[in-house]
Amino acid sequence: MSSTTARQYPAWVPYFFLLPFLGVFLVFIAYPMLLSATMAFQQNAGPGVSEPVGLKNFTWMVQDPAFWIAVKNTTIFAAASVFIQLPAALGLALLLNSDKIKGRGLWRMIFFAPVLVGLPFVAILAGLIFEKNTGLLNVTLNALFGFDQEFPWLQEFVMPALIVAAFWMYVGFNMIYFLAALQNVNKDLLEAAQVDGANAWQRFRNVTIPAIKPVAAFVVLLSLIGSFQLFELPYLMLNESAGPENRGLTLVMYLYQQGFDRGDLGYASAVGWVLAVALFAFAIVQSVISKRSEADA
Amino acid sequence: MDQKRSNVTICNDFLLLRTLKTIPPGPLVILLIAVLSSATIAFWPSEEREGLVFWTFAQHHARMYHPAIQDWNERAATSDAEPIQMFVLSMGALNRRTQSGMWAQTATSDLVEIEQPSVARFMAGPVEEVGFYDLTDLLRDEGIYNQLNEPSFAPWTSRGRIFGLPHDVHPVLLCYRADLVEEAGIDVSKIKTWDDFEEAMRPLVNNTDGDGETDRYALGLWYTSARDVEALLLQAGGGTFNAQGESIIASDANTHVIARMVRWCVGPNRIAIDAPEFSPSGNELKLRGSVVAALMPDWLAGVWMNDLSALKGKLKLMPLPAWEEGGRRTSVMGGTMIAIPKTTRDFDSAWAFAKELYLSPVLAQKLFESNHIISPKVGLWGEPYYAVKEPYFSDQQSGMMYIDQAPNVPFRTSSPFHQVAMQQIMDAASALKAYAEANDAYEIETLMPEAKRLLESAEQRIEQEMSRNVFIAGDTMGGADDE
Repeated sequence: MSSTTARQYPAWVPYFFLLPFLGVFLVFIAYPMLLSATMAFQQNAGPGVSEPVGLKNFTWMVQDPAFWIAVKNTTIFAAASVFIQLPAALGLALLLNSDKIKGRGLWRMIFFAPVLVGLPFVAILAGLIFEKNTGLLNVTLNALFGFDQEFPWLQEFVMPALIVAAFWMYVGFNMIYFLAALQNVNKDLLEAAQVDGANAWQRFRNVTIPAIKPVAAFVVLLSLIGSFQLFELPYLMLNESAGPENRGLTLVMYLYQQGFDRGDLGYASAVGWVLAVALFAFAIVQSVISKRSEADA
Repeated sequence: MDQKRSNVTICNDFLLLRTLKTIPPGPLVILLIAVLSSATIAFWPSEEREGLVFWTFAQHHARMYHPAIQDWNERAATSDAEPIQMFVLSMGALNRRTQSGMWAQTATSDLVEIEQPSVARFMAGPVEEVGFYDLTDLLRDEGIYNQLNEPSFAPWTSRGRIFGLPHDVHPVLLCYRADLVEEAGIDVSKIKTWDDFEEAMRPLVNNTDGDGETDRYALGLWYTSARDVEALLLQAGGGTFNAQGESIIASDANTHVIARMVRWCVGPNRIAIDAPEFSPSGNELKLRGSVVAALMPDWLAGVWMNDLSALKGKLKLMPLPAWEEGGRRTSVMGGTMIAIPKTTRDFDSAWAFAKELYLSPVLAQKLFESNHIISPKVGLWGEPYYAVKEPYFSDQQSGMMYIDQAPNVPFRTSSPFHQVAMQQIMDAASALKAYAEANDAYEIETLMPEAKRLLESAEQRIEQEMSRNVFIAGDTMGGADDE
């Protein structure tokens, strides 16, 4: 019945239903991409005033120390996300997946709660916590260990402060992905390994890790992309600035400063394209590594 | 067979109807909703804006302007003038909406107040492309230019053209805790220079609660505060660009100021503490008595009077100590202009209202009485309300003290590169602080060569950036009139 009905549609009907998506795609994705690709080779003072500059935006980018500071900071943040935050999220997930933990639901909610608060609030709260003289962190450390209450986290140690704030925000979020993956690990395999005499580490390494690998790869990619898009957290924590000596400058903040504070949308487009190509390259590398490890398995 | 062909023909004639009949109910409902909502949006009567729209960023400005707008609107009802609708937007929203409106060439407001740190973003690009009306000729032809304090025009001037009417002067004095200073027997009348200040106030830098840690400092300012650094640079005759638009980033004045600021903030001779304005931590430090003195522009005096009322009667004002004997005893900090975007639908009404609002003697009085801000209109400076003794400042005639310094406020640039140049200077100050700590070098003389090197590098960077700008490279970008 359904196949007969399907044959009665005129050939253009599917395209008719695709029209809304195509319209939105063309107007809000394809056209802006094309336009930004063109603008990357221009200098602008707002969108209405432009001059073609060839490759000068890209050559200036390479020469600009601020760009490299942004690259360095973003890379440090991404590395901290992958090598500190994700292992911690996995550890938490393993802990909260264990039957031995009482009130697991409550603990999961507690660790997930910062995500519900939202990034802007986390940034504002973190800014207050890291405040010198009166910030909760310095006051507590001073009371407990006589720590210097004037310790300038948001001036001298901007990246560690950002990493801690992001850790607080996202460790619970990534924990949920790992928890879902752990709950799908085949229990028969784990029991069989245990019967064969494998200890906890061997079971984790040889059964659990291979089982959660696709999810882990996905979470790593998400974390990398998220890290390279880092903007709101430093922007709000550092009062809409990049901190002293651009210590909190990230690539997207750099793009924002160039495009919206200085009005050079052409240069900002060039930065955007460099960022897009970098993220695309990450995705490709990650995909190749995943496929290779699947083939090896 | 013929019958079938005939059916096809008929169906082709009603293709749309036939297609609709064959669509399952779900997609049909979606389609219906899409069509109906689109039609509703397309035909929804758009709300006609009545009169001119005026955006401001400060609630206290709005409160002050409200009666004047009400009065204007009552008169507008019986004349050709457009009524005014005022909206308060957060600073960020106001800047972004104004900028996006200019970029998209869509109407935003008919009048807008812009604060000094934000103005550079509107001055980028060719001067004829600035999104505000050029008021230069009108100001001169109508004699307004001569009525107002000349330095007040500088931040709103780009390449010799003036794009806004100034709201204020914002001279800076030094505010100090008279109770603490007088108890220590310090005679502030002997303080003429920053050297004198350091020497006189150093005894007050100590541990007051007996825990062994210094908890009282002579100055509430910090090398990372752009506002403090800029005010001191300008006072010393430095800054980012001179009146001709030339970079003065690596000037001797700037070098000396950042070296001294670093000495104030770190090392054995430290006398300053970071007590930021508009922050709970900064306010607590001030209330606690950890800050003996602070830079105090007129607007900040109004803020302290509202936010730190517990300090009433404990404070006094004095002219800033100079950087050298006989030097400038004031600086300038902050500022606001009213501008008319080129998208306004009635320039004449907008201009008439802007003049009435900013040049009104009634509003000037309110501006002082509610916010302690002195008017840029020189002719009003003799008004009696400025001579009133202010209990908050221990019955000093604080208004007169600001007015005495008003003609001496330094020149400020409106170069589109000002913010980025300031950032470079701040970065140099920050790097100098790290150098001082790493080398255990806290004396001004030992810091000066490194300060010079860092500022020269910053200047080189800004010059490269300026030469990259194809729109204004080689142009005169400063605030001074070319004439």
